[in-house]
Formats: sequence, structure tokens, C-alpha cells
Amino acid sequence: MAAFTYAPAIVLLPFVSFLVALFAGDRMPKGGALAGIAATGGSLLLSIWVALTVAGGETFNEFVYTWTASVEALQLRFGLLLDPLSALMLLIVCLISFLVHIFSLGYMNDEGETGLPRYYAGLGLFTASMLGFVVANNLLMAFMFFELVGLCSYLLIGFWFRDDGPPSAAKKAFLVTRFGDYFFLIGVVGIFATFGTGLFAPITEGGEVVAESFPMLAEHAVIDGETAGIAMLETVGMGPQAWFTVLGLLVLGGVIGKSAQFPLHTWLPDAMEGPTPVSALIHAATMVAAGVYLVARMYGFYAISPTALAVIALVGGFTALFAATMGLVKQELKQVLAYSTISQYGYMMLALGSGGYIAAVFHLTTHAVFKALLFLGAGSVIIAMHHNENMWDMGGLKDRMPVTYWTFLAGSLALAGIVPFAGFWSKDEVLYEALIHGFGTEGGLGTAYLAAYAMGLLAVFFTGFYTFRMVYLTFHGDARTDVARDPEPVHWNVKGPLTVLGILATTIGFINMAPVAKLTGAPIDFLHKWLNGPEEGGWPALLSTDLHHYEELLHEVPHVDPAYPLGGETGTLLVSAGVSLGLALAGVLVARSLYSGADPVEHTDKLGGLKTLLMHNYYQDEYQVWLATGVTYPLARVMNKFDQGVVDGVVNGVSSVSLFGGSRIRRIQSGVVSNYATLLTLGLVLLLAAFGIMGGWF
Amino acid sequence: MIPAETYLLLSAAVFCIGLFGILTRRNALIFLMSVELMLNAANINLVAFSLQHGNLTGQVFSLFTMALAAAEVAIGIGIILVLYRNFSDVDVTKATTMRW
Repeated sequence: MAAFTYAPAIVLLPFVSFLVALFAGDRMPKGGALAGIAATGGSLLLSIWVALTVAGGETFNEFVYTWTASVEALQLRFGLLLDPLSALMLLIVCLISFLVHIFSLGYMNDEGETGLPRYYAGLGLFTASMLGFVVANNLLMAFMFFELVGLCSYLLIGFWFRDDGPPSAAKKAFLVTRFGDYFFLIGVVGIFATFGTGLFAPITEGGEVVAESFPMLAEHAVIDGETAGIAMLETVGMGPQAWFTVLGLLVLGGVIGKSAQFPLHTWLPDAMEGPTPVSALIHAATMVAAGVYLVARMYGFYAISPTALAVIALVGGFTALFAATMGLVKQELKQVLAYSTISQYGYMMLALGSGGYIAAVFHLTTHAVFKALLFLGAGSVIIAMHHNENMWDMGGLKDRMPVTYWTFLAGSLALAGIVPFAGFWSKDEVLYEALIHGFGTEGGLGTAYLAAYAMGLLAVFFTGFYTFRMVYLTFHGDARTDVARDPEPVHWNVKGPLTVLGILATTIGFINMAPVAKLTGAPIDFLHKWLNGPEEGGWPALLSTDLHHYEELLHEVPHVDPAYPLGGETGTLLVSAGVSLGLALAGVLVARSLYSGADPVEHTDKLGGLKTLLMHNYYQDEYQVWLATGVTYPLARVMNKFDQGVVDGVVNGVSSVSLFGGSRIRRIQSGVVSNYATLLTLGLVLLLAAFGIMGGWF
Repeated sequence: MIPAETYLLLSAAVFCIGLFGILTRRNALIFLMSVELMLNAANINLVAFSLQHGNLTGQVFSLFTMALAAAEVAIGIGIILVLYRNFSDVDVTKATTMRW
């Protein structure tokens, strides 16, 4: 338990580094980078300690700080929930953040950037907010850190605020995610009003539940019909399940904004305007991961709502395909990676929606590693290319920067989903879960799963294609510009993080080789065991955030069940893995045949009108701008007219009557003392007369 | 013994003379004198009732009122002095700047 005593320090250390970098960064060597590296390194060590303690079967769920003490029902408190899911996420965030800090030494310090204290302060606060979000044990605290993460992304994307692009991109990221967060906020208030608590998991003392969690209350209400402690149902006039679906979908608004799912994905490609290490942090471990993590954190709440599950699965599947097609034609290195991020988070949503909780967490883990690797690799290429990101100006970098090439290749193979790299295992599991639950689930939900599966499967092909188009254009063939012929060398602080992540991207898939485990019967599905917990008792009995519990819920309420249409469990598993691997390889081979020559040419013109459509991102930006300027703005003008004319008119009318009356009546103030005396006397006489008549003196 | 009504009539008469002075005159000094008349009308009342009830309180009270009137005259004459400095006159109808 000692590890849990120090657990708040995991969040506080990066926060301290934020303060140090902000106030003392310009007096420190490296502009405050060392404080950040020390803090994230410390957090990483503490996270490892926490993870080891959690592996020993201990969990932690308690309040640590009360910041609004009012009536018992509405105490707003900070608390920590440390279970296998949050321990895993802590490790990911700390590791990526640590490596990003080191990489920044090469990308920012060595490139002679100014404003470094601001940069490192931003990184520190970003990391602290994300860690705070990860350990949050209630929804309100999660929401606060969720918002802080959004603020930090704004500060960091707009780091080069003197140029034109970054401030605009930062504002866009802030506003688009804030649009989603608006629904999230309503959802948070709704959940607090309905359940009177925002706890993710029940707090227990000596086996007795002292504070119930909202997913558990919802579960009891739906399964056992215990609606006694649940308010608002009368007010809204819905059944418990329908109302919980509404609440779940409201919270999902924030998830869709932060995790860049359709239709709120438009901020993410623009966020590439920020420094590349920040892109790595945003896309791999913090910001974007926050949305998916939130759904996983309150999965018990979504698992009892078939509608919410279908929406999550369909949005995820569609986003996976939609973003992958846009990545096909991009010319900038980071743009391709941006669309691949959107697409990969689509897979995670698909997995969560289709009952593949473990697949989603697995893909979140592997994606964090290989996408951080790819972004840092891209950063290394950008340093070498003197900040030119156009892939058509590169070529032939393979021999000139071998460390970057080999690690980038490992990341690309993982992204494309080629065996045995990390992405293969996790993406295959995502698709497999969608497939078996699609066949096994009755009714519309099963159909939705199969449709989402089909879209996800098609996206595998596109992923393989755009990934290797990127690799071939950047690293293979002949150098197409002078800079590419003589790139700037990169130092240890770039190569080091790349190597660590390259090794991890190759090997991290081995933590859950489900197909191998099924075939050989060997107990090597470690992540499965990690999230499942012990069979009897232990932390699952206390927290109910284990995989086993979620699977029971999925079976009991929305009737999500697996079915194996193709030759039993093993057969289906092999066919599913084979199909997705075959499609990925096909995509790689097509990219190879088109772009692997010494002097590749653009093939995108052959797409005709489709190319224009894809280059313009399906006109998503245009239509959102139209929504703002063509619909919202005129509506706001009408509202303004109403406000200025009718509301203000009434107020002004009332005041002008009294103004006019006052200007007339004030004329009795002549300033002549005799007049006042006369009036006083007259008044007295009148008063006396009145009293006299009333009192009957005469 | 003279009945109390006589004193009251006297007091009312003095009061009305004072009031008449305030309402008709324009000289601030006359104003001050008229106010003194009205105050003393009240004093007559107090003494008359004191006599009527055989109780000294009213007479003590009228002593206080006289001291008060003396203080009031001091302030009043000060005001009239300032009035004269500002308007070169003690005509109360000329000082009409204190209004809207």
C-alpha cells in the first residue's frame, strides 16, 4: 500500500515542473527541460511502483481532497482510483511524456528555438493534467482535468504564435473540442443529478460499500429494477435504460471531440501546426487518448445501453474508414500521420462499442507506442529536412539516417498491422471482437457491429497503403532535393527515444497474443489476465471494473454474445487474422508497386474528381465553416435583433417613462427657501385639516 | 389664576407671527428672528403646561430650548455671513443655485 501513499506525486511532479519551468525556466540550463525530464522520470518510476503493487492484487479507490464541503450528497472531491486500467495508462503516459521531453532537447533546444520555458511549462502541465485525468475516481474531477488537457493543447499547438497558422489551429482545436465538451458538461451534471455521485467505482471499507458508484447504481436499476436512489427519472419521464442512454451519449460528445471522431475530427489535422514532439504527446498518450480512456473507465455504464454501444461502434468504424481514405493523398508527412491517428482511434471506439473492452485497451497501448514512435521519427526527418514536411521533397533518407529509418519502419509495420509487430495483434483483436459479436448479437445491434466491422476491415487495406506510401516516399528512391541529399544529422537525444520506442513497437504486441494463446493453449494473454483480475474475490469484487464483470453485463443487458461462424473459435480467429493481415499486406504491396521506384511519380491524379474531394478532406472544414457563418451567425443576428429590439426596448421604455416624469416633477425644486416654507406650511395645514375631518374635531 | 388656554392663545399668536415673517419676508435676518419667535412660542407652551400640571419638567425643558436657540442663532448668523459674501445680499430669494 505504500505505493498508493505516494501516488498523488505522480500527478504533482509534472505540475511542479510546470511551475519551475514557468517561473525559473529562463535562469536554468536547457530552458527548464531538465526539470521536466526529472519530473516525468520520477512519475514513471512511481507509476512502475504503482503498477507492481497493482499486479500484487492491491487496488486503491479513495478521496484525497475535498474542495467543496457542503451537504453530504454534493461534496465535490478529488480522489484516486488505481486499478489495472489506470495503472496501465499511467505507465503509458509517463513513458511517452518522458521520451517526448528528451526528444524535445533535440527538436527544440538544438534547433535554437526561443520561448523554451513556455514550451516546457506547457509540456509539464499537459502531462500533469492527463495523469490527473487518468487517476480521477469521479466524473467531475475527470471533467476538470479533461478541460485542462484541452487548454494545454491550445497553448502548445499555438506555441509559434507569431506565425499565421498555429494560433488559428490552436483556436480551432480548442473550439471544436469545446463543442464536444459542452455536451460532456451537461452529461456530468445529468449524472450528478441522477445518481448523486460521480464515482467510477464503489468505495469500500472492510468489505462494506460506503459510497456507491454511478455505473453500479445504473446497473442495479436496469437489471434488478432498483430505482429507489435514482432521481430525475420522474422528471424526464423515461425508463432508466433510455435515460442512461441519453446521459451516456451526452458524455460521448466530449469523447468524440477529444478523440477526434467524426464529425468533430477536423481539429486534429490542423493541430500538426504545433511542434512535432507535442504532436507525438497529443496523439499518442494524452489529449486524444483521453476520450477513449473515458469510455473504458466508465464502461460499465455504456455496457448496459445497446443504443450507446451501437453509436460508439458505428462512429468508430466509420471514422476508421473515413480518415484512412483522406490519408491516401496527403503530401505532408505529419498530415498522413494525423489522419492515421484519427483512423486508429476509430478502431478503439469500434472495439469499445462492439464489446471488445480488452481489444480497445490493447490497441490504445500499442497505438500509444507506435504512434509516438512515428511522430518522433517524423520529427527526426523534419529536423534533417530543415522543417520541410513535404514528402515529395524527400526520398532516399534510408541510407543517410539509418536509426530513424529502421525505427520508423518498425512503427510503420506496427501501424499497417503486419505480423509480428504490435499493431497486428491489437488491430486483429479489435476486428475479431467486432466480427464475433456481430454474428452473435441479435437484431439491429449485431447488424451495426457487422457494418462497423466491414468499414474497419476496409480501412486496414487503406492503412497499409498510406503507411507504406509514406515510407517509400520519405526513405526510399533517390533524393529529390539538395536538402534530402545532405540532411542535417540528429543527435543522441533524438535517436535514444526512437530506439526505445522502436524496440517497444516491435515487442509490445506480445503482451496479449490472443491467437497464439488460443492455438497453443499457452497462458500468454497477459493483458487479458491483467484486466480480468483473480477469478474469485480480489479487486474485481471491490471495484467491479474488471473485464469479467463487463462481459457479464454485455451478455445480460444488450445480449452481446460471441458466435463463431467460420469453423469454431479457432477457425474464426485464424480467418479473421488472415483476412486483416492479407488486406494490410495487399495495401503495402500496392504502395510498393506504385511508389517504390527510384523516382516515383504522383498517381493521385488518376483518381480524378475523387482526388479533389480527398485533398479537401470531404469538404468537412468548409461545411463546418458554413455551419458557423451560414447558419449560426444569421441565427445569432436574429437573436441579437430580438434582444436589442424587444428585450432592451421594454427596459428602455420603462426607464424613459420615469426619466420624463422626473424631468417634469423636479421643477417644483425652485431653490427659493420661501417657496419650500410655503409648501411645508401648506402641507401641514392640509394634514391638520385632514386629521381634523377624519377625527371629527369639527 | 390665569387659565392655560390664554397662554396657549398667546403661544399660537406668537407662532403665527413667526410663520408670517418666514412666508412673507425676504431678508435672512428677519427669517432668523421669525424662527426665534416660533421657538419661543413653543417655550411658552412648555412653561404653560408645566404650570398647569405643577411639574417642573417643562420649565427645565424650555431652558434647554433656549440654549439650543442660542446655538442655532450662532450657526444661522454664520450662514447669513456666507450668504452675504457669495451673493452680496441677504435676500433669500436670490440664492437659488441649490436646485436641479
